[in-house]
Order: sequence, then C-alpha cells, then structure tokens
Amino acid sequence: MTILALAIGLLVAAPYLAHRLRRRQADERAFPPAHLVPAALPKARRRSALEDKALFSVRTAAVIALALLGATPLVRCSRLSLARGGASVAIVLVLDDSMSMRAKDSGRSRFERAREGAREILASAREGDAVAVVMAGTPPRIALAPTSDIDAAKSAVDAAVESDRATDLDGAIAMAEGLLQKQPHVDKRAIIFSDRADGRVDAPVLATGIRVWFAMPDLAKDAADCALVEATRVGALVRTRVQCNHASAFSGREIVIMAGGKKIASSLGPPGSSAGDAPLAMEPTLQLTPEAAADPHDLVAQLTGSDAIASDDLAAVVTQGSPGALAVVSYGRDEAVATGGPPVIEQALAALKTGVPATPLPVVPDRSEDLAPFAGLIVDDPPGLTPEERRAMGTFLDNGGLVLLALGPRAASPPLGASLLPALTQPVRWGQTTVTGIDPKNTGFFGESGLSLENVEARGRTTLADDDQKAFDVRATWKDGAPLLLKRAVGRGEVWVVTLPLSADESDFPLRPAFLTLLDAFAAETISRASPQRTEVGLPWLLRGKKVEGKGPVADADPTKEGPPLTLVKDGPMSRIVPGLVGAYVFTIDGKPERRVVAPAPREVDFRPRKVPDAALDAAEGNGHPKMDVSWVLALVLLALFAAELGMRAFFRSRSESNIPPVSVR
Amino acid sequence: MAAPTFASGSIARSLDWGKLAPLRLRARALAEGIYAGAHKSARRGAGIEFGGFREYYPGDDLRWLDRRSLLLRDKPLVRQFETETDRALRLIVDATASMGYRSKTARGTKYAYSALLAAALARVAVVGGDPVGLSYIGGSLKGKGRMPVSSGREAFERVVGSLEAMSPEGDAVVAPKMLDDAIEGIARTARAGSIVVVLTDALDLPPEAPVHIGSIASRGRVVVVVQILDPDEATFPFEGTMVLKSLEGNVRVESDAEVKDRYLQALGNLQSAWKTQLVARGARWVTGTTDEDPIAVARRIVTSFR
Repeated sequence: MTILALAIGLLVAAPYLAHRLRRRQADERAFPPAHLVPAALPKARRRSALEDKALFSVRTAAVIALALLGATPLVRCSRLSLARGGASVAIVLVLDDSMSMRAKDSGRSRFERAREGAREILASAREGDAVAVVMAGTPPRIALAPTSDIDAAKSAVDAAVESDRATDLDGAIAMAEGLLQKQPHVDKRAIIFSDRADGRVDAPVLATGIRVWFAMPDLAKDAADCALVEATRVGALVRTRVQCNHASAFSGREIVIMAGGKKIASSLGPPGSSAGDAPLAMEPTLQLTPEAAADPHDLVAQLTGSDAIASDDLAAVVTQGSPGALAVVSYGRDEAVATGGPPVIEQALAALKTGVPATPLPVVPDRSEDLAPFAGLIVDDPPGLTPEERRAMGTFLDNGGLVLLALGPRAASPPLGASLLPALTQPVRWGQTTVTGIDPKNTGFFGESGLSLENVEARGRTTLADDDQKAFDVRATWKDGAPLLLKRAVGRGEVWVVTLPLSADESDFPLRPAFLTLLDAFAAETISRASPQRTEVGLPWLLRGKKVEGKGPVADADPTKEGPPLTLVKDGPMSRIVPGLVGAYVFTIDGKPERRVVAPAPREVDFRPRKVPDAALDAAEGNGHPKMDVSWVLALVLLALFAAELGMRAFFRSRSESNIPPVSVR
Repeated sequence: MAAPTFASGSIARSLDWGKLAPLRLRARALAEGIYAGAHKSARRGAGIEFGGFREYYPGDDLRWLDRRSLLLRDKPLVRQFETETDRALRLIVDATASMGYRSKTARGTKYAYSALLAAALARVAVVGGDPVGLSYIGGSLKGKGRMPVSSGREAFERVVGSLEAMSPEGDAVVAPKMLDDAIEGIARTARAGSIVVVLTDALDLPPEAPVHIGSIASRGRVVVVVQILDPDEATFPFEGTMVLKSLEGNVRVESDAEVKDRYLQALGNLQSAWKTQLVARGARWVTGTTDEDPIAVARRIVTSFR
C-alpha cells in the first residue's frame, strides 16, 4: 500500500518536475549587448506563464487520469446502491407520493430527491433482478408489477409524479410484501423512499414482515406548514378550517376569499395563536358582504404567505346544502320523547362526523328541485309516498341519488293513493317476529360490527313481496333467512332497504354498532356519488353516466383557468377516478355539469416521522458507497487530455517560433 | 559540427574564423582590394633620424640590432628611426569575451573579422614600408600577444601569427584595466603621424573608454575607432520570448521581440556617445558589421585616415 501510494505520488510529481525542467531550458541565448536590452514587457511574461501553466495543468491531469486508470477500473462514490451477496435480488421500490413529500429541502422537493434515489438504486440493478414500483400515497398503488426489465422500472420511476395524497405506509409495505411473495428470489427487499410523515407518530412501530430499508432517512425533516383543509360557504358566511404543524407557521398570515381572481373577504387568525411549536387547529369564519355573496364565481379560500407546501394553502369553497348533502326524513315524531333530542338517526350521523352535512326534512319533498341539493336521502318508516313525492324521488334516483328506506309499521299501512314506488313496486307487510339476531354467514356488509347483530331483537319486521325481494340484492338476513338489508339500482341511483324502522322503540338495531356502520357506508357511498362534495384526497369517485368527462384542478386553484382533462376508468355503467390533487374538479355527466372538491388530509400536515424498526434505517441494508466502473470515462478523459496537449503545443509553437535560432559561440 | 552554446562555459579557446580563414591569404587579398580603391597613400615623407631604442623582438632586422647595448646590458635592443615611428600603424584589437560572439548569418566572430581587418591593414602598411605595432584589449594571451612596432615582411608574419594565436577572453567590465594596458604605451610612445586603429565592438568597454582612446588623438596622431558589430547586434532580429545573457558583465535579461525599437535606440545612443566624444578629441568613428564585405569596411577605415 505504501509502495503504491509512493508510486502514485511520484506520478503526480513527475509533471511538475518536468515542468520546472522545461522552464529552466527556456530560450536563453548569448547576446553581448544584453545590458542595452530592456526587460520583457509584462504582457510577454504573462503569455509565457500562461502557456506554461496550461501545459502543466494538462500534463498533471493526464498523469492523474493515467494513475487512476492504472490503479483500478472502479472508484467508490456516494450514490445509493444495493448491497448484494452475488445472487439476484427481488426489490420493490416504494415511492411516497404523499403531500408531505412536496416539502422542499435545499431547493428540491423530497419527492424529487426520492425519485433520484430510486434511479440510483435501479442503476445498480443487474440482470436477473426483479423490480417493482409501489406508490405509497393513499390509496397505495402498484406503478409497476415485478419485472426483470430494468428499463421499464426506470420508466415507471420517471413517470411518477408528486401528488397531494395522504400517506399509507402500512398499506404500501403490505402491498410490497404481497408482490415479493410471488418472486422466486431468495433475497427479497422493499426499499422505501419516504419521509415517514403519515400523521401516526404515536402509532406502534411500523410492522414489516419483509426486509425493509428506508433508503433516505434524511428525508424525514421537520418543516413549518399550514393547510387549509376545509372551506364551506353557508349563506354569507364562509367557514374555514386551518391546521398547522407549528403555530408559528401561521404567523403574519391571513385567510382571504377570492372570487374570479378578486379578493372579497379576509380574516386574520385569532390573536396569540400564531406562536410556538405546538400544533395549531382553528376554524375562522369569514363574513361576505351582500355584493360579494352575490358574486356568481366559484369561491376560493387562500392562505397568504408561504410555507413548506404551497398546494395546501388553497381550498375551493364548497357551498353547504348543495348536491352532496344528506336529507333525513324521519317520520317517528315520538323519537324526540325517547331520546330527549333529535331522532336517533340524526344523532348518529352527527356522531359519525362523516363530513357530509345532514339536513333534517319533515317530509319527502314533492318537487324534484327541492331534492336537487342532496345526494342522499334517508327516509325512516314513511307512510307511503304521494304521487308527487314518488315523481320527485324517481327523478332523484335517475340523477344518481341514493335512498335509504327504513320500513316499519307506517310503511306497511300507507294511506290511499300512497305507495313505495319507485323503490318498491308492491306493498310491504309488517308483522311480529320472534327471530333474534342475523345470520352470521351474511354479516360481510357490516364487517366486525356485524357481531353486534347476533342477538339483535325486534318487536316486528317488514316483509317484502316476493317480486320485489327478487329484484334486490340481499346483503344481510335474519337467522331465518328473511332479508334485513337489501340494495337495488334504480336509474343512475341506488335504493337501500332496511326491513326495520330506525326507531329504538321498535328494535334495538339503532343502538347497535352495526347501525353506525350502515350509516357510515351510506354516507361514504353518498360521497362517492355525490356532486359536488368535498372529499379527502385519495378517495375514489364513482360517476354514473353514459358520457362522463372531467377536468382536474389547476395548479393555483384559480377557477378562471381550465385544468387538464382527466382520465376516467370505465367500470360498467360507472366511471371511476381517484383524485390525487387537491382543488376543484369539474365533470360533465351526460351533459350535466358537476363540481367536486378535494381537500388535503389534515394528517399530512404533521411532518413528524413514523417510528420504524432501527434495522430498517441501517445503511448496511443498502450500500452508500458503491463501486462504479469508470475506466471508460477515465480513458476518454485521458485521450482528450493528450489531444489538448498536442493541440496546445502546436498552437504555442506556431506563435513563438523564432526566425533566428539561438546563437552559437565558439 | 554542433555549435557550442553559451551555457557550456567561457568562450571556446579555439577561434571560430568562419569564412575568414585562412587569415594570411584573406588579409593579402583584402590588402590588394584596399590598394585598388585607395589611390593616395596615407604615408608621408621619409627620414633616417634616430628615434631611440626598443626591445628586440624575434624577426627584427638584425641590421638594426644595437650590439653595444647587447654587450653593455646583456639585453638585445634595436635602433629606431623617425621614419618608422612617425608613420607607424598601431593596431589595438579588442579581444575581450564579447568579441567571440558570432550569429549564424555572420561570416565569423567579431574578433575574427577584426583580426582580418587588422592583418589587412598591417599588410598594407608593411608593403608600403611602414612599421606596424599590435596590442590587445584582453585576450587569452594575457599581454604576451602584444607586438612592438616593427616593419618588414617579418612584421606582417608576426602580426598574423599573433592574431591567429589569440582568442577572445576577459571581461573589460569587471577589469577596466585591460583598456589602460592596451593604450597606455601607445599614448606615451606614439609619435606624431602615427595611425592608431582600435578595432572593438565598443559594447562592454568602461564608460571612460571613449575619453581615454580619444585622448590619443593628440600631437598629430590619427586615431580611428572601428566598431565591429554582429548583424544580430545591429538589427535585433529575435522573435518571441527569450532570456539574453551578456558575455561580459554577467547581465541576464528576460525579454521579447517587442523591445526591438527600444534596443536599437539604446544602441544608437551608445554609438552617438562614442562618436561625439571621439570626434570632439579629433578621433574618427567608423562602424561595420561582420556580414559586410570587409573590403568596404577597410576602405572606410583607410579613407578616414585622410
């Protein structure tokens, strides 16, 4: 090693010595009247020094390149790479495309750095390695199934883009695990490029059933950020909700309401709320002037100033009561006596905090215009429907509305001229029952909460006519096989039927957790169908229509600009899309416009990293100092240097060649 | 043959005669040329008046050997007469190191060129019956090459032999006494009518040299200073960057071709200073370069005697 170092040092010193020797042999000639010759001008000396230095530099570089080339064809560098034992490896690159990855460190977003890291890993992949790419933003997606085509993997990584999604590390790792299980390789790993900011800092350590390496732990950094997670207009008021990971991030900022690019209202945060590192959550309300309230433009709420993420500082304003809300019609007037307040169903919806505004109505509206603001309609034990109500409900269902019909004794004894059309074509019957609990084989709809219905009791239950029952899809049954929950599509909408009234007097079903599951599922379905309703980013939308087109949000949420067209996935009569960016989406469904709004996930504002096993952060899982074959680069550099040397020599010789050769004296 | 470079040490002992050799034949041919061009002799009158004694020099006509002096002092002396001393040609050849310089376009070194001129002038003088004396400024023989005034065919042979035996050496800048040694005896002994020809490059002599040499031109003596330069010294034809080192005075200058005009101006100033001081004292100033036809230069010298 010492001899090698000595040899390299000698090689490096050689050009310097040669340079010095050359300088000594500069054109020195005898000239008797030398004392009459003025000293050289600085310009001439500079030129001489310049050409000497240039030649010296080229020679030094050439010798160093030669030394490196001769020493080894490999050099170590700080790029990411796989540590491997020789056998081929199956890897899943998990790229976090959540909103927190938009935060910029030293001018580049975390996502850009992560994508570059993934490229470096792919550069160290060899023939025989299998590579898959999974995106960790909600919902986790497979960007590339396992393949040995490294170029395809590079293309998949290049095609990955930032989004405003929430983070789902658990789901992404589970997905990676599933992909790796099918691979025949012995060495299987998931390499994760994430800041681990999934808002679950207090959750248990991330469980991994596979070998996991968080390749760039430095992505997990704190940064001040505020997000405008909600903006809802109620009349002349705009209610907003702001969430900051540090209260200081809100310092000096205000919330403004924009309409058509003009500021129409603004509000400063509450005094004293914008200091310190503690998280901050507040719900300022802004008052619109009558003129501003009459502005026909869509409203946009904006958080002034700047922070780590710009895209969550804008929010399209949703108008409450517009399509997307739930209408609740409860005919059990005596419920108030039993609960001491609103009916059970209203209290349950309030407790669920589904995000869907629920509006109580005394009766089913008999005009379709009155039902237009709603996307879901829950009707508890209606005494039939009048012709006008049936027509309004029919239109509502044709337009994609969702109806939950809870049938009880009133539904079984409608007045003359009333019926349950268009949900049911035949009258229903109400009768006593002694059956207790639902069939445990049919509790899939309720999930784990279905256990709570194993011993549910009811005074009576509704029985549907056979023709109607055949038209429905039974999702839950009593133990004797009688249906409890049925679903059926009507027009573009859907009808859900429960054969029990939603009254605690008739059964204890409303008191069971499964009841909340039912309402939650109905609200979620309403959200997915509703328009325009605010949903959290990453939740899928199902759009029913023969011809559906849509445009996404523009980068700055300016409603005056048109966003890029969306690519919708057709799924039977439905079109499906999972919005990944926050902002307003505009759809045209069979010629009818719909506006939907996507809001950021509040937990994405929390930049604190999720706990992971120490081994997952160990650099030994990968290799931070891989070796690269750079001999061809060095060889090219060496050739270029030699060419430069020859060129410079020719150039300087042509300039400095003297017509008079040195004088010889004898 | 590869030419020795300056860096190899002092000037080579063997003189580079170039195209000027053999000196004897060249000098005779040159003298014929001088005769052909000079129709009027510089010599005047003749006389037999005793002019004193001088040390015997091998080759002197034994007729003038003073036997009495030899017997009394055990030292050979010869008798001199006025006709010899009055018309004597005194040659002073600069043989310092700088005279050994020769560029590629020159016929020979400056010393060789000067020696040729000196031999030719000696030939002319001897053929005309005039005595010739020779001394050097510097040189490899350290004063032994000096030749007292003598006449006859032997005198020419001795002059040529001395010139051939001498090679340039010595630094007149660091040893200004060299000049005094060369001219001191002449200033003291040369009679009126003597012709003193100084062949030098006038580049490395002490600053007082023009005064000292010019002072000889008194008492009816004719003094001609012939500056012999190499073509490179006269034109400065160099290009590019170079390091120039003098042969005397140990001057080393880094320079380039752009200083040519300034150099030529400095050289012109030097020549002007010499000429001014010489002419002011009745001396003549003649210049020549080693690439010139020596006949032309010799004619300029002879012409300047008048």
